[in-house]
Amino acid sequence: MAKITLRIWILIIVLMLALLMISPSFKEGVLIKSVDANSTAFNNGLMQGARITAINGQLIKNIQDYTKAVSIYDGNTSKKIEITASNGDFVFLTDNAPEITVTNVPRTKIKTGLDLSGGARAIVRPVNVTLNANEMGDLISTTSQRLNSFGLTDVTVRPTRDLTGNTYMLIEIAGASPDDLRDLVGKQGKFEAKIGNNTVFIGGEKDIADVCRNDASCAAVQSCFPSSGGGYGCNFAFAIYLTEEAAKRHADITSKIDVDASGQYLTEKLDLYLDDNRVDSLLVSSNLKGQVTTQISIQGSESGSTQDIALEDARKQMNRLQTILITGSLPYKLEIVKLDTISPTLGREFTRGIILLGLVVFAAVSIVLFVRYRKIKMTLAVILTMFSEAVITLGIAAFIGWNLDAPSIAGIIAGMGTGVNDQIVIIDEAVSSEKSGLKDRIKRALFIIFGAFFTIVAAMLPLFWAGAGLLRGFALTTIIGVTVGILITRPAFADIIRKIQE
Amino acid sequence: MEDNKHQQTHKKHWYDRYYKLILLPPILLLVVCLVYLGIFYANHNDLIYKDASLSGGTTITISEKIDSNLIEQIKQKMPDSYVREINDLASGEHIAVIIDTSLPPEEAQPIIEEIIGFKLTSLNSSIEFTGPSLSNNFYKQLIIAIIISFVLMSFVIFFLFRTFIPSIAVIFAAFADIVFALTFVNIFEIKLSAAGIAAFLMLIGYSVDTDILLTTRVLKKSEGSVNERIFGAFKTGIFMTITGLLAVLPAFFVITGLPDSFRQIFLILAVGLSADIVNTWLTNASIIKWYADAKGIK
Repeated sequence: MAKITLRIWILIIVLMLALLMISPSFKEGVLIKSVDANSTAFNNGLMQGARITAINGQLIKNIQDYTKAVSIYDGNTSKKIEITASNGDFVFLTDNAPEITVTNVPRTKIKTGLDLSGGARAIVRPVNVTLNANEMGDLISTTSQRLNSFGLTDVTVRPTRDLTGNTYMLIEIAGASPDDLRDLVGKQGKFEAKIGNNTVFIGGEKDIADVCRNDASCAAVQSCFPSSGGGYGCNFAFAIYLTEEAAKRHADITSKIDVDASGQYLTEKLDLYLDDNRVDSLLVSSNLKGQVTTQISIQGSESGSTQDIALEDARKQMNRLQTILITGSLPYKLEIVKLDTISPTLGREFTRGIILLGLVVFAAVSIVLFVRYRKIKMTLAVILTMFSEAVITLGIAAFIGWNLDAPSIAGIIAGMGTGVNDQIVIIDEAVSSEKSGLKDRIKRALFIIFGAFFTIVAAMLPLFWAGAGLLRGFALTTIIGVTVGILITRPAFADIIRKIQE
Repeated sequence: MEDNKHQQTHKKHWYDRYYKLILLPPILLLVVCLVYLGIFYANHNDLIYKDASLSGGTTITISEKIDSNLIEQIKQKMPDSYVREINDLASGEHIAVIIDTSLPPEEAQPIIEEIIGFKLTSLNSSIEFTGPSLSNNFYKQLIIAIIISFVLMSFVIFFLFRTFIPSIAVIFAAFADIVFALTFVNIFEIKLSAAGIAAFLMLIGYSVDTDILLTTRVLKKSEGSVNERIFGAFKTGIFMTITGLLAVLPAFFVITGLPDSFRQIFLILAVGLSADIVNTWLTNASIIKWYADAKGIK
């Protein structure tokens, strides 16, 4: 075996490091993504990041197994559950399925973006105002808070800007996304409770000290009934706690209103407005007149064609109101300028397609290389270099935590394409029958390769900023790919070819 | 070997005689394309057909089998919509339906759900919406990006060769590649996505590889005649383009289940690389030969 040069060693070491970064995992089970605070699961010690391998003695290999295993906990009777997890075994009584979200154990550390794993992406901007960095920070924290209190955990919210200096808020949600995402991120969330023209309280911490949530004793869908026009309606109610200031305001306003004929209620109702639309009118009990009361019950109802739909809608509306009452209103209107929800099923198809594509490209390129050079060694050298480049690029992407989306993958493939081009230049210079030294010819090859490198970097650079950075992945992976090529794989490849030639 | 040499000396004769004439067809073609694009611009007030990501609107991909008469109904109910089916190339099996419409999703979704008779959830469909304000902005910025990209590429080329005519020849070839590719997508009425425009940036960087190879071999090599160097470069370059095409074509033709915006990148690269064969080996080669002859480069 020929001596391995320093450059080849560098390639081998970097390749190893890249594999370490990607580190494929073959562990079985499902990973706990989140655990609801103060839930039975939480109190019994289930922790985020732990891996569940069995439930009640059944092996859990994937989400499907998990869903099947917990389906017997239907909320009717208390049953024992035995969970075998990576951080210990847990046995407890529960009537509901554990209050956790799980995901399949990721096979690699490569982060897959929307196009591959499914999820939702929204780009939102405030209408008619330009936000400075602080205001954008506020918008992002309010939005994150809303999404979190809505029960979404795997969420990133960040600012993004484009070539002309417009700033946007970019929201990415992994996995299945709620269908009411539009309302959640695109609405100002202005909640007002009014009696007549007087505002009693508004959403946000100034007026609202606390909102009851996830506690059936003070927040629940109370009753469902067939409605007169066909279909069903469901009522919900939850308690909120006013701050002292808001409670005094409530007392002031109600003290001036008369009690109605029945003596049970006040003559004017408490109207609830969400983004200037009245969502409900509540009767105010006569014994609240002039009282400094801090606890108020917010009620509402939703209807649907079946009881299940009505129930689901009532739950959603309750959750939405609770979220908005906690987080308060934004001082401006919002516009959703982009909203993509990508199905995880299509994402899987896409991943399969990419792997197949990779194989086809490798095969096709190998065949033409062999036909042209008739040398197995050379063909193998090119293919191995191509493969190393892809692996190192993926390793770097995993290292910097880059979310691989469709444009990023296109970039990797295009990068590999230019990589092969460069290698052909090297081979042709090396095998040429000229009298000038091999070293000179390789030097000339490297001039061509550096030229090609700089042009492609120059050409892709503007994509980092254009279009709110949505195509940044394309530029990033191409540039990583060609840089890896120029610094690591090409010098090593030139040495390999030199060895083959000698 | 002897035979080969004999062929080359023979070729040398015709190439020396006709290289200026060879310039003519690609330049005529470029003029035709430019005129076509000019007329296109006059008619559409735009240079391309834009998809929902650039013109504003919604793309809904349903990964379920949908009866063809239901698809007809969708087309009728939403007259501005553009519906197409995706079939697996290998099995011919129906994979998905893609619906493009200018309506926002909250309006389009109920119409489609009523016709197909089931709810669109995040499990059976993908919905991509781009608001008109963003899409306009997108489009403008991507055009600016292409211009910046082109200018930066030109700087690099000037920096590499530091001579006017050879540099201009490379830049001109890259420009012609873009014009040919643009004409192609317009003739086939392909609606470009944001990713598709990004592919043009890639093309700017990718297609100059062979031009750099050609120019370097002719100007920086001292062995052999100019013609031999051009033919040598051609042998290497054409093979580069062929492998390049093999890397990008499968993404368009073989793996049809991939998202459209993704496949478009590869289609545009493939068209651009094919155009580059003409622009490098007819146009650029003739210009550099002319330049070498004039400068007395041997």
